[in-house]
Amino acid sequence: MMQEVAAAAPDPLAAIKNPDLSLVQDSSAAQHLGGLVEKIFFRTGGQNPVAVNTDGLFLMIFWFSVFFFILLMALMVYWVIKYRRRPGVPAEPSPSHNGPLEILWTVVPSSAMILMFIFGFDGYMHKVVAPTNAIQLNVTGFKWDWKIKYPGGEQTTYRTSLGTKKGGVKIFVIPEDTPIKLVMTSNDVVHSFWVPDFRTKMDLYPNRFSTYTFHTEKLEPDELYRDHWIFCAEYCGNSHSEMYGIFRVVPRSDYNDVLNDWNAGSMTPVQMGEMLYKSNCISCHTTDGSPNIGPSWKNLFGYERAISGGTTVLADENYVLESVWYPTKKIAAGYEGQTMTNFSGILDQDQVAAIVAYMKTLSDKGGAPEGESTGGEDAGTNEEPMQDSTGG
Amino acid sequence: MTAIDTTHTQKHHDEGSYLDHRGLGFWGTIWDWASTVDHKKIGVMYLFAVLTMFFIGGVAGLAVRAELWEPMRTAEDGTTTGVLLNFGTPVQDPDTGEWIRSYDISPGQAGNTYNRTFTLHGAVMIFMFIVPAIPAALGNFFLPIMIGAKDVAFPKLNLFSWYVYVFGSLFGVIGLILGGADTGWTFYTPYSIQTDADYWRVTLMVLAAFILGFSSILTGLNFIVTTHKLRAPGMGWFDMPLFVWATYATSIIQVLATPVIGITLLLLIFERVFRIGIFDASMGGDPVLYQHFFWFYSHPVVYVMILHGIGIISELLTVHGRKHIFGYRAIAFSSLGIAGVSFLIWGHHLFAAMSPIAAMVFSALTFIVAVPTAIKVFNWIATLYKSSIAINTPMLYGLGFLFLFSIGGLTGLPLATLSTDLHLHDSYFVVAHFHYVMMGGTVIAFLGGLHHWWPKMFGRMYNEKAAMLGFALVFIGFNVTFFTQFFLGTQGMPRRYASYVDDFQTLHQISTVGSWILAIGLFIHLFTFLHSLFAGPKAPPNLWGGLSLEWEAESPPCAHNFHHEPLIKHGPYDYESVVPPHCSEEDFPLPKQRS
Amino acid sequence: MSTINAHPSPGAKPMRWETYKHEHHWRSAADEFDAAKLGMWLFLTTEVLLFGGIFCSYAIFRMLYPDAFANGSGYLNWRIGTLNTVVLLFSSFTVAMSVRCAQLNKQRWLKINLSITLICAAAFLAIKGYFEYYPKLSAGKAPGAWFSYPWAHNPEEPIWWGIYYAGTGIHALHVIIGGGLILWVLVRSFKGIYGPKNYTMVETSGLYWHLVDLVWIFLFPLLYLIH
Repeated sequence: MMQEVAAAAPDPLAAIKNPDLSLVQDSSAAQHLGGLVEKIFFRTGGQNPVAVNTDGLFLMIFWFSVFFFILLMALMVYWVIKYRRRPGVPAEPSPSHNGPLEILWTVVPSSAMILMFIFGFDGYMHKVVAPTNAIQLNVTGFKWDWKIKYPGGEQTTYRTSLGTKKGGVKIFVIPEDTPIKLVMTSNDVVHSFWVPDFRTKMDLYPNRFSTYTFHTEKLEPDELYRDHWIFCAEYCGNSHSEMYGIFRVVPRSDYNDVLNDWNAGSMTPVQMGEMLYKSNCISCHTTDGSPNIGPSWKNLFGYERAISGGTTVLADENYVLESVWYPTKKIAAGYEGQTMTNFSGILDQDQVAAIVAYMKTLSDKGGAPEGESTGGEDAGTNEEPMQDSTGG
Repeated sequence: MTAIDTTHTQKHHDEGSYLDHRGLGFWGTIWDWASTVDHKKIGVMYLFAVLTMFFIGGVAGLAVRAELWEPMRTAEDGTTTGVLLNFGTPVQDPDTGEWIRSYDISPGQAGNTYNRTFTLHGAVMIFMFIVPAIPAALGNFFLPIMIGAKDVAFPKLNLFSWYVYVFGSLFGVIGLILGGADTGWTFYTPYSIQTDADYWRVTLMVLAAFILGFSSILTGLNFIVTTHKLRAPGMGWFDMPLFVWATYATSIIQVLATPVIGITLLLLIFERVFRIGIFDASMGGDPVLYQHFFWFYSHPVVYVMILHGIGIISELLTVHGRKHIFGYRAIAFSSLGIAGVSFLIWGHHLFAAMSPIAAMVFSALTFIVAVPTAIKVFNWIATLYKSSIAINTPMLYGLGFLFLFSIGGLTGLPLATLSTDLHLHDSYFVVAHFHYVMMGGTVIAFLGGLHHWWPKMFGRMYNEKAAMLGFALVFIGFNVTFFTQFFLGTQGMPRRYASYVDDFQTLHQISTVGSWILAIGLFIHLFTFLHSLFAGPKAPPNLWGGLSLEWEAESPPCAHNFHHEPLIKHGPYDYESVVPPHCSEEDFPLPKQRS
Repeated sequence: MSTINAHPSPGAKPMRWETYKHEHHWRSAADEFDAAKLGMWLFLTTEVLLFGGIFCSYAIFRMLYPDAFANGSGYLNWRIGTLNTVVLLFSSFTVAMSVRCAQLNKQRWLKINLSITLICAAAFLAIKGYFEYYPKLSAGKAPGAWFSYPWAHNPEEPIWWGIYYAGTGIHALHVIIGGGLILWVLVRSFKGIYGPKNYTMVETSGLYWHLVDLVWIFLFPLLYLIH
């Protein structure tokens, strides 16, 4: 009975899960966001007050620069023409100093600099100090993807495609007209979380937290959602330019539904494992035996594998857990030159168990596939995660 | 108290040009140059070396821009398209077991090749070209002559500096041949500690930069002592050409800042080889500390690059405008002021990595350096007033500098402003800004200086029309390439990206076309200069009518620069009262009222 | 006041310092000497900035991990450090004396002072190597990746050791360079090259040696004495 109802009712979140991106410059909102100059510089004007303020300050500096640049260049061109060299005509004497002029051109730029500094500092403080009622999102950057943990522990399962990112680009849903605070850290090298539409970025460092805040925009009445690019803006290696993310701003009422959807846990361990593979492992490991930065997972589980140093180890659940959390402890023979990111802050034990379930399906020594139970019931394979499993 | 020794002047009376190698034979000439302590020959060797490095770095830059013509995309069959720099990877054929080259490249591999290419571009351009270019090539040649000396203070040290430069560059080249580094020229940790773990490539590149630093330090040291101790009698500090002031300010920065990058790179090598852990967060170290150390040098070094170029511009506008500089002391002191303030503002390179208080302090200090820089631009434009401007290639480069450097400087303002910098940091806006100041500033000044002093250095004149065509293409190509990048940056394009979202493709393609125009202009200059060496007409000693001491010497100068010790009878900018040496009053008339 | 020893007998060959001619691009030997000193002072400034990086790292990590640093300096033997300090201070004295000897044409004492300076340099390195580095490295108190001392109190101790080895190691390198300079001067002094009319190299090498000593005077209390 329930199943029939479930099959008949359309998914209310289907519209939100839509992988088609709705970027602001293509939306109806673009018409009233900013004038021509903003559009040339920023694609559209700012979508929240802080962005509008940043754009305004940028344009103030821009017009100041344009004014003085044109003034100086016009003088330059005018004098080059007027005083071009004529044979037999010397240059007339002229002063080599002019006190009042020199004071003027020292005081005017200095005052402008002071103003720019003050406005800049003020705008900056609005970006780094979050209001107390901001929703806190915990961001972790790693080579080469983002992980965001929501206040209730939820993580996104929505994907779209952008660039060449295998496994899809994550869509992080956030509610409209709400202050959001990002608390960020890195798991390996320096990254930087840039949302161009919100005109702010901050670097992510290992073993430390950095933060900034923004207030999401109000959507247009006909908008289901609005997407914003997330780019990594600190060089971090091979796929630095593929490390995309999407912030999807949705109506407040849909936001909680989305969080529930993510919490649903309706995936089997194998499905969860495959999804985790695509989010975390696919950039370095293949599943079909073809070579890549790391060893392929085809026929990995259950086999003896050679590790550098000459010994072999059985690739069982403990080996996989140790490799995911402490990859430098055993390095597969032939892969000594590579450094695998350690995922000990990113993938918890349940998630690694799901990955193990998925790996088993890729190997003929994987044993029978797990049942349809939800994640957590396979925890039995991970009772003693730290046991050394060299050669039995 | 100091007896002036005149026993040597007789010897130089009949000397020939420093380039004269009659009677030496082929190997004799090679040995003469390899063992020379003559600052002019050393300057010429540096000149050819840095121009070669400029070529290598330029080819890498063209490759970077060519790769960005199209973004990487995944085709239906899963292969990656849009990758230009694809040298293939060796794979084993599954059927035959043979090793073949496969061009089916993953985005990560394509990214890796791109990353090595932009690192090569940055490292070669910064360490091997732009830092030594003006000081070691033009500074070496002209500093002693402009102050009336026979050589620099420590000629043997000068030769040693040259060999240190060669040695350091060799390490860099070896690293390159082994595949180069993929860390970016900034070598940020922890990435630079982890990458290429089994290769010595990164260590070799870092070592190359470390060794090159010594060449820079010793050259700067040499110039400071020369300026203090070897000025001809009668030449006080305020009788020196502004190029000498610029050399002096540049040398101070070189001496004080370069040791800091030395220790930083040394500690980075220790970090990689010994894993001491001070820059590695997983061992309790601090990656941001690395950035602070790195930029403590790398910010002052950009003033090494530009201050010397600024010195050239002061010469170009005065000589080719036949007019004294407006505000001599303002320009001289602002150079020293910029050199001093440059040590206080390195933090603006890492606003996104520091606390609000630190950010506030560095932002405020950064704005200070804008003021003396702006004052210089105003002084130069005021110099044009009531001058007598000859439109030739050096003057065009001088004017082009004013245009391009102003844009570069003005676009630094949104980067110093904290709130806008959080958007623009690590975007193409920064790439455009620094190319405008480094290339549109320093390289333009360098090219202008080359065209200005080429006839003096080699005694040959180049084809003026070809040179002007070269200038036009360089100027247009440069603007097309880099002006578009401001918009790429503000619209959201990050830097050091091997690929990008489709929305940015049009602007990238425009920029790439600009790079081809720029390249053609530079090639025209290369051919023009080479042609002049072999078939150019002989240049008279003072074809521009300049008043500083190098225009009293012959073209090219004799081995000891002057036949007799120069007597300082006038200032370097007294165009209103002095007919230039070797020139007639007919060609270079004086105004009737003398001020 | 000078008691310059004249040649042993009239008509004997003059010593090389007496016929010293300055480089021809200088207007006088005094100018050349002043310039050499200015050059060496500038170079010393660069060395100060080089070590400045090490001191800065020390300050920052001391602030971050005071326990690891207090602990770390407890491993160092202040007596050996003091001995090394005395050795270097004495060598600074002898190198200054050698400059004076050159000025006064006391050729024999010039060579003796230079030799003593060299012996002190060697002693410094020997004490450091044998009594400090060797036992520490054998016990596993090694920099970074090789750190394997099983009784370490603090997870951040490798950083302390990294700074210790980087600082003292780079300093030891400078002792070797300085020693090389002094050796060069000593060899040339056997050829009679230095005397009242030419003691530039003695003076500039002496200056360099004083800096090497000065860096140690700062390293010693920071590493050995402060707890």
